[in-house]
Amino acid sequence: MEKVLEQIIDGIVKFDQDSIQERVKEALAAGINPQKILNEGMIVAMGKVGKLFEEGEYFLPEMLVAAMTMQKGLEVIQPLLMKSGVKSAGKIVLGTVKGDLHDVGKNLVGMMLKGAGFDVIDVGVDVTPEKFVEVLQDNKDAKILALSALLTTTMPNMKTTIDAVKRAGLRSKLKVMVGGAPLNETYAKEIGADGYAPDASRAVGVAKTLVG
Amino acid sequence: MNSRERVLTALAHKEPDRVPFDLGGTVLTGINVKAYLALRNYLGLPRVEPVICDTIQQLARVDDDVIERLKVDVRRLAPQSPSHFHLEIKDTEDGQYTYCYDEFQIGRRKPKVGGLYYDMFHFPLSGNISESDAERFPLPDGADPTRLIGVEKSAKKILTKEKRALVMGNMSGGIFELFLWMRSFNDGFTDLVSKPALAQKLLRRYTDIQLAYWGKVFGALGDSVDVVHMADDFSGQDAMLISPSSYRRYLKPLHKEMFDYIHSHSRAKIFFHSCGAIRKVIPDLIEIGLDIINPVQVNAAGMDSAELKREYGKDLTFWGGGVDTQRAFDASHTPQEVREDVKRRLHDLMPGGGFVFATVHNIQGNVPPENIMAMWETLQEYGVYSR
Repeated sequence: MEKVLEQIIDGIVKFDQDSIQERVKEALAAGINPQKILNEGMIVAMGKVGKLFEEGEYFLPEMLVAAMTMQKGLEVIQPLLMKSGVKSAGKIVLGTVKGDLHDVGKNLVGMMLKGAGFDVIDVGVDVTPEKFVEVLQDNKDAKILALSALLTTTMPNMKTTIDAVKRAGLRSKLKVMVGGAPLNETYAKEIGADGYAPDASRAVGVAKTLVG
Repeated sequence: MNSRERVLTALAHKEPDRVPFDLGGTVLTGINVKAYLALRNYLGLPRVEPVICDTIQQLARVDDDVIERLKVDVRRLAPQSPSHFHLEIKDTEDGQYTYCYDEFQIGRRKPKVGGLYYDMFHFPLSGNISESDAERFPLPDGADPTRLIGVEKSAKKILTKEKRALVMGNMSGGIFELFLWMRSFNDGFTDLVSKPALAQKLLRRYTDIQLAYWGKVFGALGDSVDVVHMADDFSGQDAMLISPSSYRRYLKPLHKEMFDYIHSHSRAKIFFHSCGAIRKVIPDLIEIGLDIINPVQVNAAGMDSAELKREYGKDLTFWGGGVDTQRAFDASHTPQEVREDVKRRLHDLMPGGGFVFATVHNIQGNVPPENIMAMWETLQEYGVYSR
């Protein structure tokens, strides 16, 4: 592998926020195409970060800083990717459900998904079912609706949202994935979600499986 | 045996006549106002205008008639807002939320429809701040004596008339909580990796104001305080949010300093609240002198009640863990399910004392009175020590 790609990977895994954009520019100057920088640099790096998280080596702060580092690098290549018409891994509409203002987990999932090549539309926090439906209607090509909740008192609003999406006739074309501290696989199934991930790292894997 | 003796016996790791019961002794073993009013109604108690004792969490003050009826053994004594500060609650312009700023200038809002809590939306120290910004930003005075107006009288009533154990509330959240709430969660968490000196500066300042506060408390109340209430959340459901090594680097030395101060200035036991999967740092907390752990989130990873008791029961009192609030208590569960869970927790945690019964965290707004009473009746039936 090109040395500069290794440096990009290393820079993300070791949180080198100050020089990541330099490294990416170097890679471009060396003639490596942006798609390759994304796939063989950034996505590989975030995979490593996810693995370190699952192994209990990295925790939330390390994940966040690695994801922010990756995001900085991504800023350099994103316009080029758009221009070259590279297909994204899929469009995802993401938000925290009604009554719930928590966004750290949701934001991290958003960054991880972007880092994995998805096109993420972040609708924010305290999002009503109606608002989710509206955004989905404006984004008919969305493949996944990703819902977050941190509270046992707000997680029922995930079901309310899924039901609203059904009533709007949008459910059949969509996969729904859910996450948040009080959730588990069983609950996700009960409310009619297609996927559940216990953390941001595994959310990427779930999203990939859902879009097939 | 009166309530206070019951609690002190349990805290001394001996078996009292029955397991002491806490409801409302802290703002982490309390009850949401919605659940509280439903409970009063269910018990046939007179209608009251509930007093909110914690705005952010919308907790009701537990009134004397409920304390008597449910044989609560613990009383909370809380500081009031200092004289120069008044918490003002306003409506947002769009009418969607009510909001307020606390004395640290942290802004919180609650959806007007269906909102159960105030959640943070304004973090006064967020963004790209320097170490000198962190040093200069005005913080409340922990030693402000107006926080403690009237506490001596209330303490006397609790100890001599009611004969209940006295838990003294803190002036604010814990040092790491304040750090995250002022810096914002995102910036605070990332500071631990990217700006360690800034994190340390702020944590030091929060520690200093809390030490000043406890100094005033013991000046006023001395040995009347049975338990002091402290907290710091740093864990999630499946793991800690920060690494154990971050805990040891940033928080443990400051927690130790506060624990040491409290132990050397009073005979109070230290109640420390920390949610989630904290197993990896329980030995650290024991090492720095912790007495009581709360809320004992029994369904979090590594937090099984039987295992915790076996491993740490000789060193720690468990205050909480009485019923699994997330998975066995709300309206989606039957009173029978509640009974089974309570029986299991009693079985795990009560032997040998070192256990004060409380729900895992506050009783949430969606817990029906039938389930609260199923919990309480099970405690009355099975929470008795054989003589």
